Amino acid sequence: MRPSVFDPRSKLVMVFVAAILLMIFHRWTSLTASLAILMMMVLLLHLSLPWVNFLKGIGFACFTFFIIGWLAFDLLTAVVSTLRLLAIGTVFFLFFQTTPPEVLSNALLKMGVPYSFAFVLSASMQFVPVLFRRLGNIRDAQRARGIPIEGGLSLLIHLPALAGPLLIQAFKFADEMAEAMEARGFGMPGRRFRHEPRFRRIDWMAVVISFVILVMAFWNPYR
Amino acid sequence: MILRFEGVSYRYPGAKPWALNGLDLTIRPGESVLIAGASGSGKSTLCRACIGLVPHFHHGEWIGKVFVDGLDTTQHPVYELFRHAGLVFQNTDAQLFNQTVESELTYGLESLGLPHDEIEQRLEWASKLAELGDLMDRPPHFLSGGEKQRVALGSILALRPRLLLLDEPFTHLDPQGTDDLRRILKMMKAEGMALVLVEHRLHEIIQEVDRIIVLHQGKIAAEGSPDQVLAQEISDYGLNLPPLVRLFHEMGLKGRPLSVEDAIKELKDQNLLTPFSARLLEDAKKTSISKLPGTSPLVAEAEDICFSYRGLPVLQNIHFKLLRGESVALVGRNGAGKTTLIKHLNGLLRPHSGRLKILGQETQRRPVSELSSHVGFVWQNPNDQLFQPTVREEVLTGPKALGSYDSSWCEELFNRFGLASLLDRSPFTLSEGQKKRVSFAAALAVKPELIVLDEPTAGQDELFRKELAKFISELQREERTVMLVTHDLEFAAEHANRWLVLADGRMIADGPPVAVMADSKAMARAGLRPTQRYQLIQALKGMKEDKA
Repeated sequence: MRPSVFDPRSKLVMVFVAAILLMIFHRWTSLTASLAILMMMVLLLHLSLPWVNFLKGIGFACFTFFIIGWLAFDLLTAVVSTLRLLAIGTVFFLFFQTTPPEVLSNALLKMGVPYSFAFVLSASMQFVPVLFRRLGNIRDAQRARGIPIEGGLSLLIHLPALAGPLLIQAFKFADEMAEAMEARGFGMPGRRFRHEPRFRRIDWMAVVISFVILVMAFWNPYR
Repeated sequence: MILRFEGVSYRYPGAKPWALNGLDLTIRPGESVLIAGASGSGKSTLCRACIGLVPHFHHGEWIGKVFVDGLDTTQHPVYELFRHAGLVFQNTDAQLFNQTVESELTYGLESLGLPHDEIEQRLEWASKLAELGDLMDRPPHFLSGGEKQRVALGSILALRPRLLLLDEPFTHLDPQGTDDLRRILKMMKAEGMALVLVEHRLHEIIQEVDRIIVLHQGKIAAEGSPDQVLAQEISDYGLNLPPLVRLFHEMGLKGRPLSVEDAIKELKDQNLLTPFSARLLEDAKKTSISKLPGTSPLVAEAEDICFSYRGLPVLQNIHFKLLRGESVALVGRNGAGKTTLIKHLNGLLRPHSGRLKILGQETQRRPVSELSSHVGFVWQNPNDQLFQPTVREEVLTGPKALGSYDSSWCEELFNRFGLASLLDRSPFTLSEGQKKRVSFAAALAVKPELIVLDEPTAGQDELFRKELAKFISELQREERTVMLVTHDLEFAAEHANRWLVLADGRMIADGPPVAVMADSKAMARAGLRPTQRYQLIQALKGMKEDKA
C-alpha cells in the first residue's frame, strides 16, 4: 500500500469535498478535467495497474449507467453521469489505496467512533480475501464432483452449491475470529495504539484548501 | 501452580454430553504437558477453559473452578486472563485478523496498553523468537501454513504469558515447519514458560514433554510421564502412538522406545537384537516384494508438464505414471506444488505445456465434469462441498450431475462408510469425522478409477486413521488407483506402495518408499525425514554389516 503524507482524517475531508464537487459539476468538460487530474494522481502514485483492475470491477456499472442515462434522457446526460460515477469511484479508490484499514480505524477512533465499530471495519476488510480464497476452494471441490460450474450462467444455476458451504464457513470463521480477538484483549479498556495518528500543519492546510475550493465551486456558475 | 482445574464440568449450550466431565488437574510453572485424546474428547474445550473463553465466550453450563496464575477464570473476564495464558488456536486463518504481521504481533500489546518502548522491545523479541524478521510487512493471509503458524505463535509469545497453550499446532506443518516449531517450544520451555500442547500425533512432541494427560469423554483416562502413560492400556482412546512403540506392540515385545537409539538399547537389554532384526528385515523384504506394481494398465500419465502462476514456475517438466490398483503418495514440503499438480488430474488446472492423459485420453480439452467421472477427490476440508439438505442427497450429487447413478453401488457405499443410519440427517449436523466419511462416499459414488485423497490424516485421530487404512485397502482390492497427498510419512510408508517426491515444482524421486527414503539427497531436498521404522531397519542393517 502506498504510504500517505496526510492524516486519514484530513483525507476523509478531502474525499468528501471531492465527492461533493463532482456531484455539483454538471458540465462534461469540468468532469473530464477532474477525471484527468485524478488520473494524473493515479499515475504519480504508481497505481495504474490496480486502477485497471478497479475499472474492470466498476466497468459494468458505468456501462449500465451510460445506457440507462442515454435511453432515459439524452447522450450528454449519459456522458456526464458516467464520467461522474467514474470520477467519484476513482476518488474513493485513491483513498482506500493510500489508507491502510488499521490507520483508518485508528483515525476514526480519534474522531470518537466506538472502538468495536472501527475495528470491525478494518477486520472485515481482512475477511474479504479469505472468503474469496474459500470460495475458490469450494468451487474446485464442487467442480471436482461433476457439478458444471464453469462461470457465467452456470454460476447462477448452481448458486446453492457455492453459497451454502460459503455461508456456513463464513459464520464459523466469524465465530472463530471473534474468539481469537477476545483472546487477545479485544474490547479491553485502556487500549494504547503503537502508531497514534497525528494531525499536522499539512493536514490543516489540506482541509482549508479543500473548503476554499468547495466555496469557489459553489460560487462559480460555469462549474 | 500455574493452572488448576477443580472438579470442572462443562457442556456447550444445547448440547447433551459434557465436553468436560469432573476434571481435576494441575500444571506447575515451567512444566510441559501433552493433552491427547480422540476427536471430541474435550481437548480444545480444555484449552478454551484455561483462558476463560469457556464459559465467558461460549456460555453453556459450568460447574467447578479453574485457576490460571492464581486467578479464578469465572471471576475475571477474558481480557484480564489473556496476559497470563495465551492460546494458539487450531485455525490460524481465523487468528490472524490484522493487515500485517507486525500489527498482528502488536495487537495484544496495544490491548494491554503497554508503553511504546515496551511494545517495541517485545515486538523485536517475539519476531526474533518466532523467526518472522523478513515477514513483518507482509499480510498474514498470503503466507504459507508454517509461516502463519509462526505468526500466530509470535502474536501470543509477545504477551509473554506464563502458560502457553497450543491446539494441534503440528496439523498443517511439513517436517521442516514441525522442526522449527519444536525448536521454538524448547526455547520457551527453557525460559520457564509452562506449555500445554494438544496433539493426536504423539511422536511429534512426546520426547519434549514432561507429562501426558489422556482425555476420554471429557475425563482424564490416563496421566503420567510419557513412559508411564504408554505402559497403560490406552489403545481405546484414539491415540496415534509413536511408530516404534506401535512396532514393538505389533511384534509382541516389551518396551516403549521413542527413538531408534532407545529401540536398539531395549532390544539389547532383552537380548532380542538378532531375532528381532531378522524378523524386521524379513518383513521389510516381503513388503517391498508384495507391493511392487505388476503390469497393470495405465490410469494416468504425465509427460513433461509445466505450469506457471503469475509468471513464476510452479511445476516444471513433471513426468509420472499411475497404474491401476496402485496406492501412490505424493509428498514434499508445503509450497512444493503438490496441490497444483493434483488439480491437473481432473482439469481444474491445465498444463501450460506437456501432456496429461487419463485412461489414455488427453485431458487438455476435456471438461472437468467429464474428467471427474474418472478422477474423484476427497478434499482436506469436507465443509467445502456440503450443501445438500440430507446426507443421501449429498452423496448422490455427483452421480446425478454426471448421470451415472447406480443404486446398488451407492447402497454399498452407505454401508461401507457407516452412513446408513445418517442418510436423512443434515450433513451440517455431523461430526467432522462423519463429514469426512460423507465426502469419501460422495467422491466414490461416481465409481472413479482414480481417487485423490488430499491430506486425509491431517487433524484426524487414530480411529479415523484405522478406518482410512481399511478404505484404502478396499479401494485397491477393487483395482482403483489411490493417490495420497500427505505430510504424514509414517502413514504414507504403510499405505502407499510408491512415493512421488516433489521439490520446488520438480519431481525429484519416484519409487517404492524404501528406495525413496534411501535417497538421502532427494529426501533432504524435499525437506523430508525417513520414518522411524526405516531408520531402525537401517541401523540394524548397519550393525549386522559391522558384525560381518
